[in-house]
Amino acid sequence: MSFNWTPEELQEIVDNNNIVLFMKGTPEEPRCGFSNRAASVLNELGQPFVSVNILTDPRAIPSVCAWADFPTMPQIYINGELIGGSDIALEMYESGELQQMISANESK
Amino acid sequence: MVAEQWVVEEVLKVIPNADISVTDLHKSGDHFHVRVVSPEYEGIRPLQRQRPILNHFKKFIAQNIVHALDLKCMTPEQASKSGETAFDPHGGDVEFFGVHIRREKRSE
Repeated sequence: MSFNWTPEELQEIVDNNNIVLFMKGTPEEPRCGFSNRAASVLNELGQPFVSVNILTDPRAIPSVCAWADFPTMPQIYINGELIGGSDIALEMYESGELQQMISANESK
Repeated sequence: MVAEQWVVEEVLKVIPNADISVTDLHKSGDHFHVRVVSPEYEGIRPLQRQRPILNHFKKFIAQNIVHALDLKCMTPEQASKSGETAFDPHGGDVEFFGVHIRREKRSE
């Protein structure tokens, strides 16, 4: 089965996983400082998350950016909602908002 | 090329009564740090604070009137605790923990 980065396929990923990170590379081998920072913030949360390496397919970046209406990578989704990139993630982590969002989801 | 005051007025169309300060980062009239302080941001997540402003500026970015908007949207309480927020992604190696869009990273 092939993955074609359609809006339906992308939506399915964020609907089926509480925390999703679209990034350049992998959390173990990030290919961009901003992606590394986003993955580090999610690691700090201590919850499992799904990461999608958007460097594996040249169609990925334009498809994800158009679907998300967000111009840059990485992109973090929590409970199906786009949170933003690594700077917003770090800001929300430092203020505790990110932890709140995740614990709110756990208690459901 | 536009002036800082033009940016202030355009942002005011989106969020009237906000306290707005704009820095022309390269004195090139197209790359701005925009600090927006409003009590209306209380309880609204960072990305959702930026969205209306980004949507308003989309047409100016598409026309190349504005190249980059580095947005920092804060409540008055956050603003009172934060120091200097201007960040130049082409400048020195300043670590920045705020909210901004790095459009120039797109081609990376």
